Amino acid sequence: MIVFLQSLMSGVLIGGVYALIGIGLTIIFGVMRVINFAHGDILMIGMYLTYFLFSVFGIDPFLSVAICIPVMFAFGALTQKFFINRMLGALPQNQILLTIGLGLIMSNTIMLLFTSDYKILTTSYSSGSVDLAGISVSQPLAISFFITAAITAALYWFLMKTDIGQAIRATAQDREAAQLMGINVRWTSILAFGIGSALAGTAGALISPTYYIFPQVGSAFTLKAFVITVLGGMGSIVGATLGGIIIGVTESMSAVYISSGWKEVVVYVLFLLVLLFKPSGLMGTSRM
Amino acid sequence: MRVTLSATARRGASPLGLGLFAAAVVVLLLFPQFVKSPYALHMMVLFFLSVIMGESWNILGGYAGQYSVGHSAYFGVGAYTTMILMTAKGIPPWFGVWVGVVVVVGVALIIGSICFRLRGPYFVLASIAVAEIMRLSAFNLKELTNGAEGILAVSVPPLTIGGTVITDFLSKVPFYYFGLGLALLTIAVTWVVEHSKLGYFFQAIREDQDAAHSLGISLTLYKNIALVISAILTSLAGSYYAVYVGFVDPNTVLPLDLSVQIVLISIIGGIGTLFGPVVGALVLVPLSEALRSNLITQAFFSMGLVSQDSKVGIFLQENLAHAHVLIYGILVVIVILFMPEGVLGFVTRLVQKITRRDA
Amino acid sequence: MRNKVLLLLFTLVVALSSLALAAPVKIGFINSITGPEAPIGENLTNGVTMAVEDLKKKGIDVQLMKEDDTGKPQISMSAMEKLAQDGVAGVVGPYTSACANAVAQQAMKYKVPQLVPAAAKEDITRQGFTWVYRLNAPAHNYAQALMDAAFNLGQPKSIAFIYESTDFGTSVSAAGKDYAAKKGLKIVADEAYQKGSPDYRSTLAKIKAQNPDLVFMVSYVADAILLMRQSREMGLAPQAFLGGGAGFDTAQFESEKDISNAVFSVTQWTPDMGTPGAPEFYERYNKQFGKKPTYHAACAYQAMMIMGETAAKAGGDREKVSQILDTGTWTGIMGEVKFEDYEGFTNQNKHMMPVIQYQNGKAETVFCPGKVCKVKPIYPFPGWK
Repeated sequence: MIVFLQSLMSGVLIGGVYALIGIGLTIIFGVMRVINFAHGDILMIGMYLTYFLFSVFGIDPFLSVAICIPVMFAFGALTQKFFINRMLGALPQNQILLTIGLGLIMSNTIMLLFTSDYKILTTSYSSGSVDLAGISVSQPLAISFFITAAITAALYWFLMKTDIGQAIRATAQDREAAQLMGINVRWTSILAFGIGSALAGTAGALISPTYYIFPQVGSAFTLKAFVITVLGGMGSIVGATLGGIIIGVTESMSAVYISSGWKEVVVYVLFLLVLLFKPSGLMGTSRM
Repeated sequence: MRVTLSATARRGASPLGLGLFAAAVVVLLLFPQFVKSPYALHMMVLFFLSVIMGESWNILGGYAGQYSVGHSAYFGVGAYTTMILMTAKGIPPWFGVWVGVVVVVGVALIIGSICFRLRGPYFVLASIAVAEIMRLSAFNLKELTNGAEGILAVSVPPLTIGGTVITDFLSKVPFYYFGLGLALLTIAVTWVVEHSKLGYFFQAIREDQDAAHSLGISLTLYKNIALVISAILTSLAGSYYAVYVGFVDPNTVLPLDLSVQIVLISIIGGIGTLFGPVVGALVLVPLSEALRSNLITQAFFSMGLVSQDSKVGIFLQENLAHAHVLIYGILVVIVILFMPEGVLGFVTRLVQKITRRDA
Repeated sequence: MRNKVLLLLFTLVVALSSLALAAPVKIGFINSITGPEAPIGENLTNGVTMAVEDLKKKGIDVQLMKEDDTGKPQISMSAMEKLAQDGVAGVVGPYTSACANAVAQQAMKYKVPQLVPAAAKEDITRQGFTWVYRLNAPAHNYAQALMDAAFNLGQPKSIAFIYESTDFGTSVSAAGKDYAAKKGLKIVADEAYQKGSPDYRSTLAKIKAQNPDLVFMVSYVADAILLMRQSREMGLAPQAFLGGGAGFDTAQFESEKDISNAVFSVTQWTPDMGTPGAPEFYERYNKQFGKKPTYHAACAYQAMMIMGETAAKAGGDREKVSQILDTGTWTGIMGEVKFEDYEGFTNQNKHMMPVIQYQNGKAETVFCPGKVCKVKPIYPFPGWK
């Protein structure tokens, strides 16, 4: 029973961070219908930014989120403006390849700058935990879970209540109609990619106190982000949040009750089942 | 005028093109007679391997428009089947390859039945997921695949017909001719597909699935045909690779990187054209080798552009080899942004422009 | 008369050394310079760089042909093809087991002496390849050295294995499981994981529930730190943590004082294992590259020294290089090196691995091969602070 509750707890907590990665991807996909293969690499840049701020200026990884969000937003927006916006409406496979190429550029530039050494961030709370009725709760994961929740709530409010948010949602629902209604689609695309990148970068910052950093770290997260996004329904924020937590718990549970070696297979099988039987995803009916 | 132009371009059978192709084949056939360097032959083997992979993906991705980013699955199945049969059961690869083909047809039909229910980006993601499941399973099914330790073949049994030894696989020459043969086979298959009814059905599906469906073309049937042809050829590439390298493990024959690389060959060369993947291989194989082995820096030195002891020279020597994936990435972005029809399309258009100006 | 002889000798030495300088020996070095293994590959490059400097001091001018294999077997084969054609006297490398294995077959085919510095896969020197030599100890030694240390110090009854699903991880733990069965240890958990996963907590919780006396972990890189951090979170406290090499043997792991304390690990080399020149090598490396040398660096250094000296002695002739490697003995930072045929191995150096333990943020050698170490091991694990 303790083992069950323990894995449930760590699954939910790690799922929170997964959710943030998934939300970023879902916004980008929702608005642009581009599968962003560079998503994990953007997350990786967020990690290096956090590492840089921590090791040079001694800024705590959780505080550096405040710097990470604007910097990564600008990074994503510029990438969109100079590269991906040129490809809107191009063949989908070319858009995929463009993001693959951009991802390669990102990870290898970082490699030249920081070498390919594994970097690890050690804070006073890196292996700290709180005992909760016999279950240990990782301190850094718990903090990042709350930050994730706060960011998700703020984002939801932004998309629902503000004019810009509504423009983004409108573009996601129907690009042409939105254009006809006078929404500048190129601008909303830049915004969407900026927000998506900021979220991925933030996820990178949040995960860095408990994980390690190297230039090729992104690809594993890219795949995870795809799974989460599809599971929740492409373009749905609530869905991506749920999807992230489901994936976290599934991984955690299958490591205990099946085996660590098969846990990712379980995740991909779940992914295929959702694609086949509910291709619109868990929350597929609602768009954002 | 335009119509006839594009028609011959599509048929690809202009006398000039045919002549060039025949000349290239003759040169390639004679190549090992003149070039004895194993290094050169090895590079040619890698080139053929890329051509086979690119052409086979092209049938599904280029002609039928189904952008699979999971072709490593078929490559891996071919490679593993041949290696398992060769090392565990002592079955020589020229029989094992065909078992691999049978297995891969089964696998392809299962994958097809899952993935072809999906379209566009969903299809891409499903194909990745399936390939990842195969890769992770290869890690876990230790009895069959020997897990992460991989399968190592110490030697390849000699190829004999009726007791006479045709080749013993000790030099690179037999591998060269097998590679050339397979590459020509995939090009021939692509040509046949392109010039048959199948090719028109594939292209109809690529252009507009719903329209094709309403014309009475069975989407499931023809997508699966394209997949099976493509998978068989890819598995041949996998078997060829496995026998040549003599070692397979999940991360060398089933990774996502490989799937991406297979797609890149076609896209960089020119998607949906007979010789696009050949051009892609012609660009990518020498480029990555030149970058990897620091040939480009050496060339700068020997041309006298940069002195070997200067700061720039030292910087290049230290970093250019490290940067080869970076340059690869930049190349991909440039091709996608500025040559959306691939290098072949770009060059063809350039040639057309020049000839038109002359006329 | 005596002066004349001396003069003659002197001129001879000068002439010979200038001859050696005039004709540098070509040696190939295949390594993972880029790709996923690049972080470790860098250590090997540094070791080789130092060896080339030292060889120069000895009057041996090495023309180093550095080749990147990007961690892929087929690329390492390209590198070997190129080197064989370029007429190298011998090859040091590649780093990874998969690549070293692919290259070994070519070394046989082209009759190029290949000296493997740090790849652990058993098979590499078990195929009767007479042109392939290995300096480091193969995978099974990792498991045996560690478990012997535990048997020496206590009476463990049960053991849990958690290891990454890679060639190295599975072969080390497979050897460990065999050895455990032989010694009557009960195996209570056998968990392979895909490296790079951010969360091992549930697996560790499962292991904790089994309450094993020993926890044997094999992890290549920074996963080692994650595993120990999360073990601390979970409160997993066996009699001893045994870290099977690689990831448990990095400067980063050493610096993680909170989680590394009392963890055992095994390695190919330590500066205080009592081999000649080891402390000096440590100091020099630290000064030159700004970090501590790993065993990869030491292995690569020693391998290149051996290859350089041998190649110079053989005048670049591959056949002679191989003969000298077959019969020669070298003593250096890795101790005595001799390539022998035993227990199915061919040209394998019988390297004895030192066992280390982290004590207060410092790696201390607690079992030195053939010697008594200065530092006493802590056993059992004192528990988490």
